[in-house]
Amino acid sequence: MLRCRSIIVVLSLFFIAAGPPAQAAKDGPDPIVVKDPLYGEVLFYFYQEDYFPAIVRLLAAQNKWFADEQSEPLDRFEYAEQAELLLGGLFLSYGHHLEAAGIFERLLADNVDKEIRDRTWFFLAKIWLQRGYLDEAQTALSNLSEDLPVNLWREAQMLQSQVYIDSGQYDRAIELLQNWKGKTEWASYAKFNLGVAMVRSGRVSAAADILDELGDLDPFNEELTSLRDKANLALGYSLLQDGQPLAAKAPLQRVRLEGPFSNKALLGVGWADAEVENYRRALVPWMELRGRDLLDSAVQESMLAIPYALAKLDSISQAADHYLNAIEAFYEETNRIDRTIGFIESGDIFDEFLSDDPLDSTGWYWRLEELPQGPEARYLYHLLATHEFQEGLKNYRDLNYLQNNLDQWRQNIDVYRNMLETRLEAYAERLPQVEDTLARADLDGMVDRKLEFDSLLNDIEQSNDWLALASKHEFEMWGEITGLENTPALSADIPEADEVRDKILLLKGVLQWELERDFKDRLWRIRRDVRKTGEALVETQRSRRQIDDTMRNEPLRFDEISARVYGLGPRIEGIKNRVDVAKSEQRAFLQAIALGELQAQKQRLDVYAVQARFALAAIYDIAATVGDASE
Amino acid sequence: MVTKRLLISLATSMMLALSVTSVAQNTETTDAAADSRSEFRSLDEDVQDLKKEVLDLNRDLFLLEEELLFPANSQVAFFISMDVGEYFEIDSVNLKIDGKEVANYLYTEREAGALVRGGVHRVHMANLKTGDHELIAVFTGSGPHTRDYRRGATMTFNKGIGAKYMELEITDRVKKQQPEFVIKEWE
Repeated sequence: MLRCRSIIVVLSLFFIAAGPPAQAAKDGPDPIVVKDPLYGEVLFYFYQEDYFPAIVRLLAAQNKWFADEQSEPLDRFEYAEQAELLLGGLFLSYGHHLEAAGIFERLLADNVDKEIRDRTWFFLAKIWLQRGYLDEAQTALSNLSEDLPVNLWREAQMLQSQVYIDSGQYDRAIELLQNWKGKTEWASYAKFNLGVAMVRSGRVSAAADILDELGDLDPFNEELTSLRDKANLALGYSLLQDGQPLAAKAPLQRVRLEGPFSNKALLGVGWADAEVENYRRALVPWMELRGRDLLDSAVQESMLAIPYALAKLDSISQAADHYLNAIEAFYEETNRIDRTIGFIESGDIFDEFLSDDPLDSTGWYWRLEELPQGPEARYLYHLLATHEFQEGLKNYRDLNYLQNNLDQWRQNIDVYRNMLETRLEAYAERLPQVEDTLARADLDGMVDRKLEFDSLLNDIEQSNDWLALASKHEFEMWGEITGLENTPALSADIPEADEVRDKILLLKGVLQWELERDFKDRLWRIRRDVRKTGEALVETQRSRRQIDDTMRNEPLRFDEISARVYGLGPRIEGIKNRVDVAKSEQRAFLQAIALGELQAQKQRLDVYAVQARFALAAIYDIAATVGDASE
Repeated sequence: MVTKRLLISLATSMMLALSVTSVAQNTETTDAAADSRSEFRSLDEDVQDLKKEVLDLNRDLFLLEEELLFPANSQVAFFISMDVGEYFEIDSVNLKIDGKEVANYLYTEREAGALVRGGVHRVHMANLKTGDHELIAVFTGSGPHTRDYRRGATMTFNKGIGAKYMELEITDRVKKQQPEFVIKEWE
């Protein structure tokens, strides 16, 4: 009987660290001593982060465990719970969050250590927030106890503030974040979120103070440096918008020269100078932007800002050249965007995203870190940073995996159908021969003969009939000797006849003596052989019963397996069709995000191009007016 | 000429882009974002349903495949496991049943790692008649001091009626600082 003694131990593995399983295992407990090969097989796939096959094997093993009639009902109940918890953990790692939550809601109440329970809800809250399940994320956060380890507690508070912000509950977010305690990097994130909540709720001036404080922090890692840049940028633009260009320059100049926000900061610094009509100074940061990636909206805008400043400085001819360059650059960029739009509309781009993925990683932790090489990818880079796109792509990848899996099974089920039909034919062909052979084999007759033989041996033993056990040769000799005894010539009263009679008596005596001497040994040997024959007969009867059982059950088994094989075919087809539809819908969703992004870029370029043409026309007008006046 | 409206539009977009946190990045609270979230959720729920159905289907197919290819009466499954694994790093295993080679499996680094951490690998499934059978397993890999190591284990086992599992376990013999290869039977 199989046993799954260590299942509960493994559940803790999923939540040892709020990171990927690889990390979890690194920090986790000692390797588990596996007590059951089927359970160990589930772990074999789990440790390789192949969650799909791990789940399938656990589901199949569950079927076997619970169908095991030898186990006690209580044991089965206990295993059911433990296996369910393990399954919940695997579902969670696979990103099958709704099923995982269902299991945990049923079983986490009082069966599991509080720490594991907290980590489970924390993990679910994180998944749900990333997937936009705000109500569910709130429920999961509400299930956390106060005993959560401090690092997770801080992150949980941050998740809570994000749930409030995303669901428009800005006051609650502000209340939570204003009371933030501690001086870790989480405090900086909390401050930033507080600024976000304040801006969203219309308290811009209070937000500015917070952003200013954050923009002046001394960062100790890349993430905090980036956060500082972001705060400075937001504050700078907020001040610019509020008509305070001089005040805006300080935060904008605190942004690093090389970083994700540097282009926008350089543009902003230029606008701050332009606002106070210091166009010569404004040109310095804008000229720096000229050599940067045209994909960035700040770089695009600088192509208009530079001639704007030049025109203000009366360098009309240079301004006209720059406007012409800008129009040309916007035109080319628009064409490239159009080509990319066409490529995205074809849908192939998302399959390219997955082409480097070996599809052996089915976990929720998967992220597309790099886009494939190609002109199209450069427009979509910053989509990688959005949860919506990443989670959508994850679903697309999962659907792709399901599609391949179903294709594989579709082929296999055809093979099984053929196999079953071949077996049925072979069975039908062999059955008459087997039945004929069985009919000829008179097992009952053999048993009767064996019993008769036992009885005969008993008689021989009781009557000490040593002649009955003589060999054929001995029996013939005995017959010959007794035949000679009755020869008429031997009855003559002559010395020669006496001599022969004596010899015959001697021979007879020797043969009888030998037969009597060997009688017990022969009887033992014959009894041994008969016993073996009896055993063989019992074995044959057992085999016969098995054959009879098989002949009776095999058609039923064939029927049962046929029903399953033929029933699973349409089931595969049905699900396959739905997966195909879901994959198309998921692709359309991703396409809409990507196309929305590109259309926005294109619209912005269109606006810039119109602005540039308008400005150029104005310059030509001025030039013409000046020319006319001079004439 | 270019107006300052551009600047204002850019500044506004920057303020919208403010909604960033360390744990969840930009999320716009516009109606469009809410619609998009609701569309994503609807698709995600479909994907979750499909995952469940495909997993259940895979379970049924897995069981069917096993019953069809390896009926319980003749089924024997051979598993490889490791306990600790300090003195042996597995590269491959070769199995012979009744003198006939039935499996020759080369382990990837990832698979070997999974074995060390407690996973059990089903290396071979077979249909065998009831009665006695001889199993020879040859393990190759790196032994103590990363030397090439090749060791065999032999066992005669009896296949009765009903499925049988054979576990080939690699354990550490601490006293001798050597690996040990043990074959266990599961009924």
